[in-house]
Amino acid sequence: MRDALKKYACFLANIRQFFCEQEVVEVCTLQLLEHPVTDVYIDSITAQVNKDIEQKSRYLHTSPELEMKKLLAQGSGDIYQICQVFRDNEQGSQNFNEFTMLEYYRLGFDIHQLMDDIVQLLKTLGVHYPVSKLSYAQAFIQYGNIDILNTDFKTLKIIAIKQGLTSDFEWIEDLQILLFTHLIEPQLQTLPLCFIYDYPASQSALAKVEGQVAHRFELYMNGVEIANGYDELQEDAGYKDVFSAELNKRQQLVKFVPEINQAFLSQLENSLPQCSGVAIGMARLLSQIN
Amino acid sequence: MANYSTSQFKNGLKLMLDGNPCSIISNEIRKPGKGQASNKVRLKDLITGKTLEKTFKSGESVEGADVMELNMQYLYSDGDTYNFMDPESFDQYVVDETGMGDAKGYLVEQDMCVVTLWNNNPISVTPPNHVMLEVVDTDPGLKGDTAGTGGKPATMNTGVVVQVPLFISIGEKVKVDTRTNEYAGRT
Repeated sequence: MRDALKKYACFLANIRQFFCEQEVVEVCTLQLLEHPVTDVYIDSITAQVNKDIEQKSRYLHTSPELEMKKLLAQGSGDIYQICQVFRDNEQGSQNFNEFTMLEYYRLGFDIHQLMDDIVQLLKTLGVHYPVSKLSYAQAFIQYGNIDILNTDFKTLKIIAIKQGLTSDFEWIEDLQILLFTHLIEPQLQTLPLCFIYDYPASQSALAKVEGQVAHRFELYMNGVEIANGYDELQEDAGYKDVFSAELNKRQQLVKFVPEINQAFLSQLENSLPQCSGVAIGMARLLSQIN
Repeated sequence: MANYSTSQFKNGLKLMLDGNPCSIISNEIRKPGKGQASNKVRLKDLITGKTLEKTFKSGESVEGADVMELNMQYLYSDGDTYNFMDPESFDQYVVDETGMGDAKGYLVEQDMCVVTLWNNNPISVTPPNHVMLEVVDTDPGLKGDTAGTGGKPATMNTGVVVQVPLFISIGEKVKVDTRTNEYAGRT
């Protein structure tokens, strides 16, 4: 027991050492928020507070992303955070309602520089696995023989049905994600460390879009999703568009539709500096190192 | 029949898929960070016996199949059909050649077995894992071979042919594993 605790503590110390050397500053942001996340398939856990005074709903953060971006907009420079995050309605053997996340932002980095930086971070943790890098489109060609960026929704549905997959989706991105999860991901199991980058624009989330692709990446270790990173949107207008689109989708799916997070948008009057950021699931990472 | 949501999926649950009743063998939930959860389900088609894989969106509903598995006694065969009785209700059921499948090689009259009913019609018969059958035809064994090395084909009283040790002779009763069609010892 104590050995395992010491090992984890040492793991955390090594991460902190890595960031300290690169002058990335550790921060600690609020976990109990006024606004829940708007992501279509991520749900916040609600907490009722101040019942004896004036009851309000507060939401446990599902990731420290927006709070950290407020700091970035105020000129924090490179920052990282290691914290517990909370998500409702999580299911599956690798998903939990509470888990530890490492999130960090590097100013001036594009996603390729950030992927290289993650490889360096992993090296300090004793991970020297060979690194594979595949664009989302390459992965689909190589492992699924599908030209994912140029295949329309109707054709993808036919492909899904042939594979015994459900095709009952409202939006193409949901079907792309299903195809990736069930056709591509299982074949990444042979790759110890694999970055998938440049996602279809339809899956841009909070990443910058250029042409058909969003500058977004995920790290897979032995087929397990470990990290998700973006070349971050900078302007408030971009965030507003994403939030509105997500809330619209939530409404169509008859899910909880919160108010748009105006407090965050107003903090972006001085837009975010160009930066790339990534969120890493610590337990998943550890499970692939041991 | 009720519908089942993916959150109610568990091994053994019977669902209707493409018009056939199926039984869930395994159910794996996958939830990508940014995407919707999905259930990857392996099922056995109870009519064809084939295993299939289907993926559902989590939250999707699927029609349940009215399938029951009952312990029944095998009574007799009319040649083309096989007659069974539920010893609790005394209801009798007639199973055709297709529904009987491999089970006909392992059941002798009065034996107990499991009969699967779909909408109260029998669709398949599962014999016990081990049954006692009588050898009705086999080549004479070699004298002195008691170790059972090697083997020879033997026809049982049900018609099924099983590889048995050389020392087994006609008229003997042997135990047969119905899942592998292998000799599993003598009484």
